[in-house]
Amino acid sequence: MNNTIRREVLFPQPPEQVWQAITDRATLAEWMYPNDFEPRVGHQFTFQVPPNPKVRFDGLTVRCEVLECEPPSRLVFSWSVAGPVANTQVSYRLEPDGPGTRLLFEHAGFDLSQVGGDQAFKGAEYGWARMLGQLATVVANRTTDAS
Amino acid sequence: MVMTSEREPDVFGAISHPARRRMLDLLVEAERSVNTIAGEFQMSRPAVSQHLRILLDAGLVSEQRHGRERHYRLVPGGLAPVRDWMAHYEQFWDERFRRLQELLAKRKPE
Repeated sequence: MNNTIRREVLFPQPPEQVWQAITDRATLAEWMYPNDFEPRVGHQFTFQVPPNPKVRFDGLTVRCEVLECEPPSRLVFSWSVAGPVANTQVSYRLEPDGPGTRLLFEHAGFDLSQVGGDQAFKGAEYGWARMLGQLATVVANRTTDAS
Repeated sequence: MVMTSEREPDVFGAISHPARRRMLDLLVEAERSVNTIAGEFQMSRPAVSQHLRILLDAGLVSEQRHGRERHYRLVPGGLAPVRDWMAHYEQFWDERFRRLQELLAKRKPE
């Protein structure tokens, strides 16, 4: 029960600029979350997803480690929360596409048999689906607010 | 994003146990009787029945009576809530990348 998310995103900006946005701590905080990222293999860092009491979301910490880093074309880091997302991998590949950039994104290694699984979250803690539902709502609201 | 399905926790709970996941794997191959399923496990018959009951309640398997014996088969689509779970993460990244695109567009106007 393994699954991978794949996405292809096009940017009009050149790879160097997209690379900056996915590896610079402050920029990363603007489109992801507060973090202590460093573009260095072996560096361990976290994303702090803030709580939102309005939707009863407690917030969470995503634990990560840089596994590959080849500026400005390839970045891979581990992504661990708990259960089904305990040891997943996020990877970015940036390719020049005319004057712009083609981003090939992958988030791999979800163990779906662990959703609501037997370790970290039993019973009422099935909430992962719910939490991510809330998270998506939070993000959608923010995007709406911002525009 | 409304997550109100009452069945959802049951599905996730049902697949949280390794024995029940193995039972589902067995039933992917073919419909099986309780005895055949029990033969694959070290645990007692009542324990096996209890696990099957949980899978049944979660809507992941169906039960048919053949004389005195009960047979179980997989319910297609029963795991849909699990796939839906994945969809939330997909949506999460789609939103992130939208933000990233907006951010880059804002920073470097042509």
